[in-house]
Amino acid sequence: MAPNVVDNPFLVLGLSPDVSRIEIEREAHKLLGMLELGFADVQTYATPLGPRPRTAEAVRAAVAALRDPYQRLVAELWARHAPPVKASAPVETAEESRPAPSLRRALGWRP
Amino acid sequence: MYALPFLVIMRLHRLALDARRRDRTWRYYAYSVVAGTLAAILAVVALLAAYAMWEVGWWPLAIAMLVMFVAPPLQPVLSRRIFVPLGLVRTAFWAGHFVSMDDSDAYALCCAAWAHARKPTPAGEAWITARRDKRIPLGDSEIVVTALLAAGRGDVETTRQLMRSASYMVENHPLVREVAGEWLAVDAAERGAWAELHASAISARYPASALTYFLEGVAARRVDAKKPPGDFELRARWLLAPHRRATRMLLREPAVAPPRSATIEAAPGEGGARQAAVASLPRAVAAHLELSQTRKPSLDALAEAVTAWDAALVDGETQKWLARRALELDAPLGAVDRAIREVALAVTDDLARLADAASLGAPTAHGPVGDALARRLRHGRLDALESGFTRWEQRRHTGSVRAPIDEWREWVALRTAYEAAVSAGGLELRRLAFPHAYSKGTSMAVWLWNSRNEYALSHAISAWLREEAMAVGDTEAIELCTRNCKLNVPTRTGDVRGA
Repeated sequence: MAPNVVDNPFLVLGLSPDVSRIEIEREAHKLLGMLELGFADVQTYATPLGPRPRTAEAVRAAVAALRDPYQRLVAELWARHAPPVKASAPVETAEESRPAPSLRRALGWRP
Repeated sequence: MYALPFLVIMRLHRLALDARRRDRTWRYYAYSVVAGTLAAILAVVALLAAYAMWEVGWWPLAIAMLVMFVAPPLQPVLSRRIFVPLGLVRTAFWAGHFVSMDDSDAYALCCAAWAHARKPTPAGEAWITARRDKRIPLGDSEIVVTALLAAGRGDVETTRQLMRSASYMVENHPLVREVAGEWLAVDAAERGAWAELHASAISARYPASALTYFLEGVAARRVDAKKPPGDFELRARWLLAPHRRATRMLLREPAVAPPRSATIEAAPGEGGARQAAVASLPRAVAAHLELSQTRKPSLDALAEAVTAWDAALVDGETQKWLARRALELDAPLGAVDRAIREVALAVTDDLARLADAASLGAPTAHGPVGDALARRLRHGRLDALESGFTRWEQRRHTGSVRAPIDEWREWVALRTAYEAAVSAGGLELRRLAFPHAYSKGTSMAVWLWNSRNEYALSHAISAWLREEAMAVGDTEAIELCTRNCKLNVPTRTGDVRGA
């Protein structure tokens, strides 16, 4: 399911689900131009699981999906109910307390 | 005549070590002290005798004396400290050879494979493999040797699986089992799997080497066992064990790191920056994302995500919101139902993938996601098991004969897959999976016993099928497997009476 959230067309374009079709087209053109010129600001987009790389192909696929009313309905369903986006990747959960990873070798065993 | 006391001490030394392998109480320390003292006496006396012979010019006898009488009591230390770290495969083999008179090749091959695992070379592997393949039928040492060869290749999963599988074998070389037990104990310590190590210690599945015994003590303290060793006892175990410098840090209690959780917040409700259209959906999406970001998802977390999705997808608010937006967007007829089906399918696919990866069962939730997930997991696992067992048994008819160790690996892989599936799917899946495993397993066990003379391998399959038959209450299977298990199993350590 993560692809439905992190690859959501609204997130790829950096838009709210309420925007009109004209705004979508305008934003897509702007992003494609900036990507072609290599602007650093548009190379990634924020998702609930942290930033993801943005490509011209992903932008074109996103705008194409949002032109179709059914696909936009599904994209809105995910985008409206997804958790807030994060600028950095989430911290991993600390699990069992582990000794040093080289213990096996130190005790005479491999690998 | 003069050698008699020496031979008696040598025998006593072996008896003390054998007795230690059967014990995990205060006697362990007593036998360790006795064995250590006797080994020192043996080594000093033999060294003095060898020196005397050298002095009078009988140097061939002095060398023979060193090899026959000095090396055996010192073999554990020589192997661990010199032959293994230097990767001296053949030296480790011959040193191990003189330790035991009872099927001496078994332990010797393990020592050679241990040395190879530390410094692997193609020539070393070929030499060990050739010696291993000559040993037919299959026994526990061939399994442990193969595991150590896998360790040499850096394949830790295969090593772990094979080391664990040695305990299924009825043939029992205590020295070989001690090596397997130590590798598993060190592996568990490396992974921080203290509960697993403690469970293994309680069941006394393997004889404990001094290092294993120390790590078991550490595990007992870390899992808050009923009777963990005290400070003094743990320090005594540490003193007995090798590699004290490396294990010193385990004497200290672990510093418990404050739990840091990668929690994913749900979409904000009223007053938030972006208001969710349906109240139940954000919870479902957040629970699902959190589950997918956890390294080891739990059944509770899976159940929470499934329940949240079931509630969200049958929620009237979701349907109403979708219908309104479909109208506003001019979506085609039936778009609402199609969207709900599509979301349920995507969610089920992803949850099934996560559950499979973590070997989790289907939670008892009923709804579009809960029912589909239960169906998917049950059918997927049953299909995979049935095709695995069928492929295995077909080899009997196609005449495709494999090396005994490969037969063992295939069966161990199937057993592991079966156990993972039934532990996730519960008794219901176990009852559905057993008949197929039983019919194919019995057929293979009979073939391996009658046509291939692989008695211990066949017995291991029958013993496992009997355990499973008892778990599902299949009386006919219990009767047949019990008859098979009662057959005497010829092994290199003598016939093992079936039970």
